[in-house]
Amino acid sequence: MPPIIEISGLRKTYSRAFRQPHNALDGLDMEVAAGQVHGFLGPNGSGKTTTLRALLGLIRVDGGDMRIFGEEVPRRLPQVVSRIGAVVESPQFFKHFSGRLTLQLLAESAGVPRSRVEEVLEQVGLKDAAKAAVKGYSLGMRQRLAVAQALLKQPQLLILDEPANGLDPAGIHHMRELLQWLAHSQGVTVVVSSHLLSEVQQLCDSMTIVSRGRRIVDGKVADIIAGHSSASLSVRFPDAASLPEAVEALTGAAPDLTAAVDRDRLVVTGAPEPAWVTKTLADAGIYLSELVTETKNLESVFLELTGTAPVPGRTVQIGQSVEVPQAAPGGVAIDVQAEGVER
Amino acid sequence: MNLFKAELRRLARRRLSLVFGILAVAGVVGLTAIMWATSSQGPDEGQLAEAQAQADQWNEDNPDYGDCLEDEGFFEENANYAWAVEDSAYADMSHEERCEFYVGGMTAEDFIYTYTFSFENEGSYMLIGVAIVAGLIMMMLASSAIGAEWSSGGMSNLMVWHPHRMKVWGAKLGAALAVCAAAVAGVVVLAFGLLYLTAAVRGEVGDLDGVWWEATLERLGRTGLLTLGMTALGASLAMLGRHTAIAGGVIAGYLIIGDMLVQITSMSLPVDYPERFSLYTWVMAWISGKIELYNWNSSGMEMTPDVMVITATDAGLLLGGIVVLFGALATWAFQRRDAA
Repeated sequence: MPPIIEISGLRKTYSRAFRQPHNALDGLDMEVAAGQVHGFLGPNGSGKTTTLRALLGLIRVDGGDMRIFGEEVPRRLPQVVSRIGAVVESPQFFKHFSGRLTLQLLAESAGVPRSRVEEVLEQVGLKDAAKAAVKGYSLGMRQRLAVAQALLKQPQLLILDEPANGLDPAGIHHMRELLQWLAHSQGVTVVVSSHLLSEVQQLCDSMTIVSRGRRIVDGKVADIIAGHSSASLSVRFPDAASLPEAVEALTGAAPDLTAAVDRDRLVVTGAPEPAWVTKTLADAGIYLSELVTETKNLESVFLELTGTAPVPGRTVQIGQSVEVPQAAPGGVAIDVQAEGVER
Repeated sequence: MNLFKAELRRLARRRLSLVFGILAVAGVVGLTAIMWATSSQGPDEGQLAEAQAQADQWNEDNPDYGDCLEDEGFFEENANYAWAVEDSAYADMSHEERCEFYVGGMTAEDFIYTYTFSFENEGSYMLIGVAIVAGLIMMMLASSAIGAEWSSGGMSNLMVWHPHRMKVWGAKLGAALAVCAAAVAGVVVLAFGLLYLTAAVRGEVGDLDGVWWEATLERLGRTGLLTLGMTALGASLAMLGRHTAIAGGVIAGYLIIGDMLVQITSMSLPVDYPERFSLYTWVMAWISGKIELYNWNSSGMEMTPDVMVITATDAGLLLGGIVVLFGALATWAFQRRDAA
């Protein structure tokens, strides 16, 4: 099945008076396969929202190609827009209108039946608050209304920018279940831009990580994490004085292994398996009190890939993420089904 | 069509539309109340008797007037009134008339103020005024509807649903113009009904013959077109500035400061017909059908000034050109600029 979204070499430059132009998108490539929840990640200012706005025809780009459902956008956007539901950036509504009226006006403008308004209000849990003016809504309620608006058309492609923003834990859980149900049971392709990495890890099937307007990596979430996980072991001893002896015992038994003292514990990487560590140390007459396997999660992978891991005493500034070298023309074809590939 | 209907509903459901609607109706009712209170069909017997008593009292308190009436040779014998004898009209008056005219006797009419509202003479001007105020309101409403949608983010939301920007702009402008036409027509009809009733009960309706109807409808029609142009201009300015305040600022800036600057500049420069630089002149020419400007500087000693005539066609071309220019700029900007 062809990808639902195909983006290649997308460029967007903002010219600024008396300053250097800013390349918001610097040759971005991206593909999203059908029927998946696809995460779109990147540090602040990396070009996520710009990409989504460009896809939806809200801004003009300076170069590159974009296709949705195989149709070139923005030129053919009017032909496919009825199949796309989207929320870009923070949801904004006319504050004196009720939630129901807001949806009714949009539905009416596109010829969507009124009954659909009640269905989506029910779906996002806003039925009881539908009569209230939007100005009285919390951020989470506005977020739900925005998602309701995106669902009105019964879209085949749902594009959501930070959908969990402002939601309470129950709301996040509900949103996750809703999006997964849409993707896996209804065949809707969902693209989610988010900073909540734990949420993305639970929600998404695949993802693209971008930095400074270029793609760093894409693929299945599990594969990307696995591809960057060199699991380490944290070992503690009843007596911290045993640490140097333990290092000597382990590195003597396996020269390729790395054992580093981190305050009162030993961090071991490259060991064949945890049981080997316990046996080697016991054979050397050293008994451990704790052994924990530390696996990387999406957050640590993201920080490593984007180069935005915090350094004590320093603040990571906007735009200080890792710079991706420009891909050679006619570079590697992207296969989102394949293992995560660094670009 | 769906989008147009949704835009009509969006405009109608706005709180500002309700507030402006109430203000417009209240304004018409207020104008009617003022006309009702100030107009009368003439003094009644009681008012006449009271006025006569006041006139008699005044004449009694004025010794010169009494002396004049009693003395046929008052003017010839009194040096203070020698100037009256030399007046050319003096010889043609009776003695009583001379006393009233030169010394100042009062009659009952001098103590009665009556104003009679004549619908025939004043009605059409009032209706035009009402239509212009309604047009100004619609101008603000149209600019607010579009400006608020930009500043609230609603416009981006709408464009996600309707990526064809010209359809969005067309629907919004069309809805604003349709509401303007309906609102101005409604307010004018209401004003007509209430003012006609006031004239019938408290003043005089007059002769509303074919000529009156033709002239009134012609001017009202052109005023209606002017209000549509104002609405389109307000919407265009908001589309260009993407904020209600910017559109409002440009309009208020011109109305308050711009025209004043034009007047000051034209006064300080030696130009003929300086009034032609004011937009108000062209608006007046458009509504009334024709306006004449006089250049007294060129007349020399003859006191017959040169005349510049601005017809409704001239004014229509200029005012229409301004609306079309801003409309085209707004269309171009909306089509080309990023929605963020």
